[in-house]
Amino acid sequence: MSGREAVRAATLANGMRVIVWPVHDIPNLALSNWVRAGSRNETPGVTGLAHFFEHMMFNGTSRHPPGDFDRLMEAQGGANNAFTSDDVTVYQDWFPAGALELVLDLESDRVAHLAFTPEVIERERGVVASERRLRVDDNSHGLLAEQVQATAFVAHPYRFPTIGWPADIRSWRIEDLQAFYRTYYAPNNLTLVLAGDVDAERAIALARRYFEPIAAQPPPPPVRAIEPEQLCERRLLIRRKSQTPVLQCAYKAPRAADPRGPAVSLLLGVLVEGDASRLHRALVEERQLAIEVSGHWQEGFDPGLLWLSLMLPAGADPEEAIEALDAELTAVATNGVTEAELERARNLATVGLWKKLATIDGKAQLLGEYEVFHGDWSALFDAPARIAAVSGEDLQAIAREVLDRRRRTLGVLTSAGS
Amino acid sequence: MTVRVPEHERLSLGNGVTLVLMPRREVPLVAFNAVLRGGALGDPASRPGVASLVAGLLEKGAGERNAYAFADVVEGVGGSFGGGAGPEAITVRGQFLARDQGLMMELLADALLRPMLDQGELEDLAGRHIELIRAAKDSDPAELIGTYGRALLFAGHPYGRPTFGSEASLAGIEREDVQRYYDGHFGADRLILVLAGDIDADLLARSATASFSRWPPASAPVPLPPRPRALAGRRVLLVDFPGSAQTYFWIGNVGVDKRYPRRAALELVNTLFGGRFTSLLNTELRIKSGLSYGARSGFVRGSVPGEFALRSFAQTENTERALRLALRTLARLRAEGVGAEMLESARAYVLGQYPLGLETAADWAGMLGEIELYGLGRSYIDDYPAQLAAVGVQEAQAVIEEAFPSGDSVAIVAIGDASRIRSVVAAFGPLSEMALTDPEFSPAWAAGDELRP
Repeated sequence: MSGREAVRAATLANGMRVIVWPVHDIPNLALSNWVRAGSRNETPGVTGLAHFFEHMMFNGTSRHPPGDFDRLMEAQGGANNAFTSDDVTVYQDWFPAGALELVLDLESDRVAHLAFTPEVIERERGVVASERRLRVDDNSHGLLAEQVQATAFVAHPYRFPTIGWPADIRSWRIEDLQAFYRTYYAPNNLTLVLAGDVDAERAIALARRYFEPIAAQPPPPPVRAIEPEQLCERRLLIRRKSQTPVLQCAYKAPRAADPRGPAVSLLLGVLVEGDASRLHRALVEERQLAIEVSGHWQEGFDPGLLWLSLMLPAGADPEEAIEALDAELTAVATNGVTEAELERARNLATVGLWKKLATIDGKAQLLGEYEVFHGDWSALFDAPARIAAVSGEDLQAIAREVLDRRRRTLGVLTSAGS
Repeated sequence: MTVRVPEHERLSLGNGVTLVLMPRREVPLVAFNAVLRGGALGDPASRPGVASLVAGLLEKGAGERNAYAFADVVEGVGGSFGGGAGPEAITVRGQFLARDQGLMMELLADALLRPMLDQGELEDLAGRHIELIRAAKDSDPAELIGTYGRALLFAGHPYGRPTFGSEASLAGIEREDVQRYYDGHFGADRLILVLAGDIDADLLARSATASFSRWPPASAPVPLPPRPRALAGRRVLLVDFPGSAQTYFWIGNVGVDKRYPRRAALELVNTLFGGRFTSLLNTELRIKSGLSYGARSGFVRGSVPGEFALRSFAQTENTERALRLALRTLARLRAEGVGAEMLESARAYVLGQYPLGLETAADWAGMLGEIELYGLGRSYIDDYPAQLAAVGVQEAQAVIEEAFPSGDSVAIVAIGDASRIRSVVAAFGPLSEMALTDPEFSPAWAAGDELRP
């Protein structure tokens, strides 16, 4: 890859990291600003705060009234969004190269001068409540996943739903917000990534001009909670008025920076990626117990979860699907995978990486992930070699360790009538 | 600096096949986009979903490979391969590593020329599609609201039929329906094949010629949709979703077609009305009131006019307020138009954003397929910035009058808890009602008292 030589990185005097990947295919830039704050940094009573911040960051500063951020950016051709996870909050902008200075001005302004206006906070509570109804209350998958996650962890804050519990959404106080802002929206807790049509030295100089004046803060308190070993399978059953049952298995899994990470990813590839994957073929095609299988690894700062989800046809017996799923997972742990399955997973992972690298947005996203979760953006360029190095033995070993029934939480959502 | 259509080669194979080759070498991937004119317009009126199933079956066994062998070879090299049906075309798309482009062409030729259309695979796929509709009703009813909206708005017109099929129609589709569709609507004159990325253009041109130059034309005429009539007055459909936390709504009428001459002005006005975060709609329903997580609007433009529609959602008890606010915002657009400063902002926004959708080889494969399908020419992209630059307030006003409906003449769909919102939505116009669990997307079809249009 020629990317490694093209990328430039700098650490500002206040500790903020800036990474730039110049690419000139289209006259645009993608920016992502990574804040090391997610629901992992919350406490009972104020869950959802990190996500609420993601909303509040668009709602005005002492220099710009509410609405200015979007109005000014859109008027220069830019669009923006943001997302919050258990571990991070990421702000993203996509804009024509000529808007770079405005975007950095706006991004630094909201890190330095966010306003806390009571009326604005109340209105935004309503928006977040609507988002919660959409993603959780009116959604079988969201409703079940929230409960599975809350059951899988007993000590670690990964048990909190990122969007927040309903009562917490209603009750945040302005002081909660101010304290969270001071602690986490400090330059030393941020990583800014730019990919696209820009000269790297100029981009870094501009980032210095706008962000370096912001004072560093004491580092955020570390999350000290360590989830104790799970001793037995946990099961939960939700009954909801619905037609199609949903089954979710959440297994305890390594953290993002674990050296076995590529093996975890390839294991998921073998199990659920594509029509030729083990679980799709066995459960969807052969036995028709499920209509769709999917999975993902929640890669975070701390050990998290590997999820396997099954959508079942109306009227299906979840127990039959669980039994078939377990038989397949046991077979992988006991007998390993074939060379063809491993090769297939490697090739899918490689193509997946290239597809992301084909866009400036994907480049900014990947650089940020590697810098934040692996401590080094340049590890991105080792990813193909790390994918190629995973052996069949590695896969079987990780399957044995992760796919352990004692360390899983199994949730079923089924029709209220059944 | 702006985006122009990159250099590419366009060939006609003599039997009607259009072949487009576009080398792009940013990453070692090749993308294909096979567009087969016809799409769901070729479905029998009584059985929507046939084209969609045909598209899905192309990879479920073709040439010498059964469904498993086909998936094994595609995914074994890290490739992707998938078909779907739109109203006017079936599209089959995929990406492979550049080293596998020969294999990609072999698989594509097998899928288009020699699909097995196997009975067992058909039953499995139709069954799964039925369950996927049910699952969407359980987890994302808003995803289906456009299908209900089109059934209401385009009643009697093919655009009103669900391209994916309905639970009821999918259950009735038999192998002979699928075979008849394939025999009638697959053939050289229907195929636009775009190959883009890290390609060996000579190799692929030879391969495509060898595979497709002796393909006979399709036996059926290309299905052409009649021009739909706009709805006069209002119609309201309530889809009962008992216990739902919010009401999801859709408001629409017939809009404009793909060749609408004021496309640039249309894009600018829609950007201002419901196409970006600070749009009038999102400002009212989200930013100022906190009623909803979001509100958007858009146009579907085909060879004849598809729909203009706006959509949003709000907590059940705020259903009336949100619906009134959406209609009042539409009325305000028509009464006040858009000012010069707003227009300037929208122009910068559209110019700033559209290159992001034309970045990869796969993006271009999609766009060139669309340009060929609708006969738009490369000026559709190359002249777009100049067209955007030329739009003034008067043209924007003309577009508002031509393309945006009056709130007095709209189809309204609300998915929500009927026991709590029935009287509220009934106040907006003549009401029909059905359950979210009904196996059709229209109460008339569900009741079986009217032949499905």
